[in-house]
Amino acid sequence: MPKYGSYIRTTVALGSAAILAAVAVSGAGAAPAKNKDVTITGAGSTFVAPLVSAWIPAVGSAFGYTLQYSAVGSGAGIASITARTVDFGASDAPLSPDQFTSCNGCIQIPWALAATSVFYNLPGVKNLLHMDGPTLADIFLGKIKTWDDPAIKKLNPGVNLPSTAITIAHRSDGSGTTFNFTDYLAKVSPAWQSAVGTGTAVNWPTGIGGKGSSGVAAIVSQTPGAIGYADVAYALHNHLSYFAMKNRAGKFTVPALKGILAAALSQTKPNSDGSLSIVDPPASKKYANAYPISTYTYVIVPVQTSKAHELKQLISWAVTHGQTFGPKLVFQPLPLPVVQFDEKAVKQIHS
Amino acid sequence: MSTADLTSDAARRPFSGRRARLGDLILQGVAGAATLGATALVVLIAWKVVDGSRLSLSKYGLGFIGHVAWNPVTGREVYGAASFLFGTAVTSLGALLLAAPLAMGIALFLTELAPRWIQAPVTALVETLAAIPSVVLGLWGILVLGPVLRDHVEPALHGALGFIPLFGPATVGSNVFNAILILTIMILPIVSSISRELFLGVPHELKEGALGLGVTRWEMVRGVMFPYARGGVAAALILGLGRAVGEAIAVTQVIGGFVGIQWNLFSPGDTLASRIAAQYQGATSNLEVSSLIYLALILLVFSLIVNVVAQVIVRRVARKQGLAR
Repeated sequence: MPKYGSYIRTTVALGSAAILAAVAVSGAGAAPAKNKDVTITGAGSTFVAPLVSAWIPAVGSAFGYTLQYSAVGSGAGIASITARTVDFGASDAPLSPDQFTSCNGCIQIPWALAATSVFYNLPGVKNLLHMDGPTLADIFLGKIKTWDDPAIKKLNPGVNLPSTAITIAHRSDGSGTTFNFTDYLAKVSPAWQSAVGTGTAVNWPTGIGGKGSSGVAAIVSQTPGAIGYADVAYALHNHLSYFAMKNRAGKFTVPALKGILAAALSQTKPNSDGSLSIVDPPASKKYANAYPISTYTYVIVPVQTSKAHELKQLISWAVTHGQTFGPKLVFQPLPLPVVQFDEKAVKQIHS
Repeated sequence: MSTADLTSDAARRPFSGRRARLGDLILQGVAGAATLGATALVVLIAWKVVDGSRLSLSKYGLGFIGHVAWNPVTGREVYGAASFLFGTAVTSLGALLLAAPLAMGIALFLTELAPRWIQAPVTALVETLAAIPSVVLGLWGILVLGPVLRDHVEPALHGALGFIPLFGPATVGSNVFNAILILTIMILPIVSSISRELFLGVPHELKEGALGLGVTRWEMVRGVMFPYARGGVAAALILGLGRAVGEAIAVTQVIGGFVGIQWNLFSPGDTLASRIAAQYQGATSNLEVSSLIYLALILLVFSLIVNVVAQVIVRRVARKQGLAR
């Protein structure tokens, strides 16, 4: 709706000076020769930011134009592309119907694949702890209150679990990671589905909210007994211990490339809007190693844009060659069917 | 233009001649434009906020204000402002209650009690508090203040005053009490530095006269300085309250973002400004955006009320003082 757009435009206009400043630094010195007058700007997801940052110099040398990306968060990224103050937006959660309408002729293309880790702070317990979906949902519903609850003990035989109270840390801001996490809980727990549901922000039954992944991590690291969630790269970077999650096949898996790939193979055909949910893959030998809280993240572009040529080039490159930058950053390269879908989707972009 | 106007106009102008008149015109133009611009900006913002909240206003009406709810999940959307209004009132009044005596103490110490060599550096240091970015203060609130409160301060308060529902059991470091303390730190420099200026403005004859009558220092402070500065101090406190009501980022970081009304200060909550700051950018539906702007509208009206009340208080106190003299 146009109304929504106008507010976004105001917000974005206010923030654009800051964004420009950030962008000027990140993009400096990237582009040699060729199209050096052309600059492609993007904004959004912090989740995908490490990968896009790794792309910047490579895009500069491959195509000669400057790629600039500001990690302002998925929501702000959607707002920016809706207002057309950037050339592309990036979001970890698929666009909502209202957002699609506001964005007026945008398409979303899955362009990176990673996972959400569920981490904890339990001093004195050195083991890699096991967790399954229904128990995790009960914890986040506030039904399981202490670490020595029978349900957690049963998943971790032989581990001496303390009676420490569980403190839940969640995002207080809207977030694609929250979407992925609640999408998973809703799939594995009917109780969660009926009481809370799935969204970038939900009505949390219990727990404390932190702003951004850093806010959640700060609460968890300062609170013995706390559990929180964030993208796996963030957890690794900050040395947080995370759960091995039980998948449908009955196997406990950690958020690593192998597990993410197995999950991705369970569903390789995007919906008509480009979105694709791969949480909680079905029980099958084929997905035995699947990490159940894996997710795609999306690039959002207007179908009609003056920089159609460059954007087509960029996205085609990102979903193919660009994927080779992923594994080092715990981004699993896209499965072939998704790459094919993306290349077809890119063809819709025109000037 | 009448002749009376011309003479009064000329009287206001110390210089005559063409150039001076041009300068005056420019001054008048610039000052007028600035004032007009500021006023127009407020009106425009108010208009935008009303316009933006229209969807939510028409759906919920005034019932929005008294409703405890915030669920942005598609298909289950329901919004209400009550828990954030409650959180805003509790955090800002709490911060004011803590900051007022502290700020008075600092101001009195710096004007009356401290040796002269200490006054300037301490004044500067207290005012430096105002320069700390709120994000940094919020981070300090999570990482440093939170654990100390949770492990020591809050259990002690609960032990001593647990019969009052406000001081319930402490479980987490990110809570309403933490937000109150962060806001206290934020408004302390404003209130104390204005109060200090006011205390410095108390005429010497009054103070020395009182001391000459043989009263103690405290009696002089209570009987002369406080009444003299009362109106100004009240205005300073209201300014501080305005700051506390509107603070968004630092509160978002430490308050724990919980929807619901809980009397226990040691449990998480949320405020109007904090909710807007946390969720505006990620809002996924038109109704959610509109409801967040509705929260902003409530905040705007609230601030307006605070400002008007402040002016009434200041005027009343000033009139009383006029009568007393």
